Amino acid sequence: MNYAELAIMLIQASALVMISPLIAGIIGKFKALMQNRVGASIFQPYRDLRKLIKKESVVSENASFLFRAIPLVCITSMLLLAAMTPFIYTGVLAPYADVIAMVYIFTMFRFAMVLGGLEGGSAFGGMGSSREAMMSVLIEPALLLSIMTLSAITGAGFNITDISSSIIGAGAFAISPALLLAGTSFVITMVAENTRVPFDNPDTHLELTMIHEGMLMEYSGRGLAMMEMASMLRLTIFMALLGTLFFPWGTAVTMAPLDLAVSVVVIIAKMLVIAFGIALLESTIAKMRVFRMPNMLTVSFALSLMAMISLYVL
Amino acid sequence: MDQILTNNLIDIFAVCMLLASVLAMASVRMQPLIRLFILQSLFLAAFEFTVAYSQNEPHIYIMAAMTFGIKVLLIPRMLKYIMSRIKADDEMSLSLGIPGSILLSAALIIFSYYVSEPLIITLDTAERNSLVLSFSIMLIGMLMMATRRKAISEVVGLLMVENGLFLGAIALSNGMPFIVELGAFFDVLMAMIIIGIFAFRINKSFDSVDTTLLRRLKEE
Repeated sequence: MNYAELAIMLIQASALVMISPLIAGIIGKFKALMQNRVGASIFQPYRDLRKLIKKESVVSENASFLFRAIPLVCITSMLLLAAMTPFIYTGVLAPYADVIAMVYIFTMFRFAMVLGGLEGGSAFGGMGSSREAMMSVLIEPALLLSIMTLSAITGAGFNITDISSSIIGAGAFAISPALLLAGTSFVITMVAENTRVPFDNPDTHLELTMIHEGMLMEYSGRGLAMMEMASMLRLTIFMALLGTLFFPWGTAVTMAPLDLAVSVVVIIAKMLVIAFGIALLESTIAKMRVFRMPNMLTVSFALSLMAMISLYVL
Repeated sequence: MDQILTNNLIDIFAVCMLLASVLAMASVRMQPLIRLFILQSLFLAAFEFTVAYSQNEPHIYIMAAMTFGIKVLLIPRMLKYIMSRIKADDEMSLSLGIPGSILLSAALIIFSYYVSEPLIITLDTAERNSLVLSFSIMLIGMLMMATRRKAISEVVGLLMVENGLFLGAIALSNGMPFIVELGAFFDVLMAMIIIGIFAFRINKSFDSVDTTLLRRLKEE
C-alpha cells in the first residue's frame, strides 16, 4: 500500500463522514419539493449539529455512566464503518473490512441505542427500545443473508474490497437474478434499519409511531448531536454500500486519475438517485402499523433466501 | 445485443415475476394486489419480447403484444369494474397470516427447485431457470387461491397461475403453437367473464364475496 493509495482511502472515508448531513439535507429538500413546499436549505443539518454542540447537555438523575458513554459508542462504531466502506475507490482503509464484522457493527450500534433508550428511565425510551429490539431481530438475518449472497455470487470471500472489485470485473455476467433479489432485499432492510417512512417516521415525535426518536428523547446538547450525526452517517453508509457493492459499476478499481474522476461523478449521480428514491418512497407511502412491520421484513428475508437458493441450485 | 446480456435479461424478467408473486402474497389490500398483477403481466410481456428477440421467433412478438393488451390493460379494468359494481371493501380476509404465507411460499420455491432438478439437467442453461420459476409462480398462485377468502383475490391467484404457465411454456418450447395460444388467451377472457358473473351472484345471495360462506348449505 503506497502513500497515494492511503491518501485516497483517507479522503474517501472523511468525505463519507463530511457529506452525511448534506445527504440528509438533500433528502429533506427532495421531499419538500415533492410536497410543493420550499423546504429548508440542504445545509440545515450542519447548522442543527453546530447549534446542538454549543448547547448544554442535561442528564437524568437516574442515569448511570452508560448514558454519557453511549453517544461515544454510537459515533465510534459508525466512524469505524465509514473506514470500511468503499466510496470512490474499491480499496478501503480498514485492513480487515469483512462483511460479517460490518453487519455486527451495525448490530452493536443498535444495541447501544437500545441501552441508551432504557437508561433515561422514561416511558418513551422504553417503548422505542422494545420496538427497536423487535426490528433488530427481524433485520439482522435479512441483512446478513443479502450481503453474504454478494460474496457468494463471485466466490470472492468476505472481504468488501474483493467483493466490489470482482463484481465490477465480472461485468454483464454479474447482472444475475441473485444480485437483483439481494439488492431488493437490501433496499428493504436499508429503509427499515434507518427507520425511514414505511417503518418509522423520522420527522415526528408522535408517541404511537416513534421508534428511533423515542430512544433519543432523553438526550440533549452534545450527546444528541453525536447520536444524530451517527444516524445520518448510518444512512449515508447504507447508501454508499448500495451504490458500491450491489451496483458497483463505475467505481474506480485502479488508481488511474481518469478512473477516479469518473468514479466521483458516478457516485454523486448514484447517491442523488438513491436520495430521490427514498424521498419518493416517503412522499407516496403511508407509514405502516407497527404490527405490519414483521410482514415487510419477512418479505426481505424471503427475497435474500431466494437469492441464495438461486445461486446454489442453478 | 450480447448473448450473455439477453440471457441475463430473460432471467431477470422471470425473477421479477416471482418477486411480484411474493409481494402479492404480502399485500393485505385489493388495490395493491391488482397493481402487482399488472406488474407481473408487464414483466411477462417483457420476458416474451426478450425471448422473441433472442430466438428470432416472430409469433412470440405477437404474444407479447397480446399479453400487454389483455393482461396489462383489459383484465385489470374488468377486475376494477367488478369490484366497483359489487362494492367490495378493500381489505381482504386471510386464513393464513402474512409471515406464515411468505415463509410457506419460500418453502414452495425450494420445493419446486427440488422437484425440477432431474428435469433441468436435460435443458440448456438459458431457459432452465425460467422453468423452475414458472413452477414456483404456479405453486404460489395456488397457495394464494387456497388461503385467501375473497372471490376477487382468488381470481388474481388463478391469473397468476396462468402467468406462470405461459412463462413455463415459453421457456420450454418457445411457446405453444400459435392457435393454441390464441385459444388460451380467449379462455382467460371467458374465465374472467364467468368469474365476474359468479362474483355478482355470490355477492347477491350472501352480501359478501367471502367464499367460505359457500360451504354452508342454504336450508338447514
